[in-house]
Amino acid sequence: MIEVKGLAHSFRVGKKGKETEVPVLKGLTLQAADGEIVSIVGRSGSGKSTLLHILAGFLQPDRGQVLVDGTDLTAMNEAQRAAYRLDHFGFVFQNFQLMPGLTAFENVELPLTLKGVPATERRRKVEELLESTGLSDIRSHYPNELSGGQQQRVGIARALITEPPIIFADEPTGSLDSETEQDILLLIQSLNRTYGITFVIITHDDEVAAIADRTYRMHDGELAEGGLRHVI
Amino acid sequence: MSFKDQIAFVRQHIRRNRLRVFMTVLAATMGTAFLIVLASVGFGLHKTIKDEVLSNQMITQVEVYSEELTDAKTDAMKEMDHVKSVVHRKQLSPTAFAELDGYTAGLNAYFTDFSEEETSGFKLAEGRFPENPGEIVVGSGFAEQLSDEKATVKEGEELPTYKEALLGKTVTFRFDPLEEGAVSEEWPLKIVGIKEAPGKDWAFDGYLYMDNRLMPEMEKGFAAVSPEPEEGVEAEPFTYPQVNVYVDKLENVKGVTTALKDDGYSVYSVSEEIEQLDVFFLALKAGLVFVGTIAILIASIGIFNTMTMAVTERTREIGVMKALGAGPKLIQRLFLMESAWIGIVGTAIAVVISYGVSFAANAVLPVIVTAALGEDGADLGVTFSVIPWQLVLIASAISLGVAMISGWRPARKATKTDVIGALRHEL
Repeated sequence: MIEVKGLAHSFRVGKKGKETEVPVLKGLTLQAADGEIVSIVGRSGSGKSTLLHILAGFLQPDRGQVLVDGTDLTAMNEAQRAAYRLDHFGFVFQNFQLMPGLTAFENVELPLTLKGVPATERRRKVEELLESTGLSDIRSHYPNELSGGQQQRVGIARALITEPPIIFADEPTGSLDSETEQDILLLIQSLNRTYGITFVIITHDDEVAAIADRTYRMHDGELAEGGLRHVI
Repeated sequence: MSFKDQIAFVRQHIRRNRLRVFMTVLAATMGTAFLIVLASVGFGLHKTIKDEVLSNQMITQVEVYSEELTDAKTDAMKEMDHVKSVVHRKQLSPTAFAELDGYTAGLNAYFTDFSEEETSGFKLAEGRFPENPGEIVVGSGFAEQLSDEKATVKEGEELPTYKEALLGKTVTFRFDPLEEGAVSEEWPLKIVGIKEAPGKDWAFDGYLYMDNRLMPEMEKGFAAVSPEPEEGVEAEPFTYPQVNVYVDKLENVKGVTTALKDDGYSVYSVSEEIEQLDVFFLALKAGLVFVGTIAILIASIGIFNTMTMAVTERTREIGVMKALGAGPKLIQRLFLMESAWIGIVGTAIAVVISYGVSFAANAVLPVIVTAALGEDGADLGVTFSVIPWQLVLIASAISLGVAMISGWRPARKATKTDVIGALRHEL
């Protein structure tokens, strides 16, 4: 369960000493229940990315709280937030963000390595996951040897490997063609149903938002009037 | 992240930038090797000179001088801490001769206490120490002093000397009478031991060592052949004292030397000389290490550059790792480990190279110097370069310390990487 209360944030831009404040988030309150797919839809500059960054703990908001299962992320320091991410969150990025020097296998393995899981256990888990996601054939490939769709599948596998309760996805299909987009969306849906993982998806694409159980529309740092839509 | 995985991670990065890392390691190696080789010259000279000083004398020996040295005073020295033995030799001052089978020698003779001599490290090449006053020990060169003065030799040639074995022979001791017409009493002295030859080739020991107990009798015998001393003129002493204190260990020499000085004696020991040498060479070595450190500092600029490049290049990767949940401490450690790796490998290679250069210098430089001086094949006895483990330790500490310090800022920069900016970073 993610609860966001009165979240506000602004960026300081301009030369030092002559900065002006640009408000990006203007007091948001929203929530995501366990096992839901929540999409946050908005145009460029609507503040949806900043919202995700704060939810994920990349950024400290000026005001407001982010509670994940009752734990206040905004009260933690950087190291604590990093440790919390490692244990509770998975990430899927628009441009995949795979490590160029690591193979598909090693990329999926990375979060477990960061967690300090022993090598044999790591190998077994990654092996299993690659098998079940159909990536075994490309395990030794480097990211630049993979197609966009394959890279994103590796990216999703990397997010899944630590079995997190929540996965954040920032424009997960933004760099893919429409056919591949459908594949990825189906994958997300099936993971959500099979494992009960909560997905928070940031997108500008209504087609992506269509798979969500709950959708928030953002406009100019605020949730748009009537933006909330429940799908039963 | 386990330590093993951290190492694997760092190694993977190094492999990707092999050439750049290699060049940086090379710079670190050259700096460190320069430091070690430079300082090794200081250590080499120090060793050469110290060896020279130590080889000329017994290192635990303290020579004591004073106006009056009596047996009572030397006995008191024996009671001091760390004193192994006190040898109080009395050098015979009047002219005396020894005769053996027609060969005669002018004498340099000592009266001494053989039990003290034995504990002090007086070594015999042959025979045993005397047990009664009629037995003596002679120096290794004694036979060469015994010459046949009646033999006829050509101009420029030396008189024939005694060639047979001395051990067990009895020499006849007599004084050269100061009073005209007087005839000296004679003492038969049996040679029971021959002293070990001195360590240095040029040193010559033709002394005759007699037992202290013989001294009163001989002094009386000498007085019998000497004229009565004139009024107001001080008689020549029969013997001159020579006192050497032997200390149990080299490190205690200084303490004993100081204690003897405090008691008002004039003292000379090798520790005095060594101390001055040590101070001088400590300063020299510190100076050389300082100059060498400058070379390492120059190498550190390379490390700083390499690490800054590495951080900049990997901004996106650092961002991804942070996003996935790598803490700032881990990021910093990974980069510090990389600069430490450069430092460690650079130092290790430098140590090996330095030993090689040092060995080569010691092998080749004497040849060149000898050739330049025009002396054919003479052994200079000079060690040009010595690398003791302490120098390796100091150089490694400096090199590693500098590597870590120059890697520090880039590593800090890496931890400050903004995740959001880094994820947008295209490279």
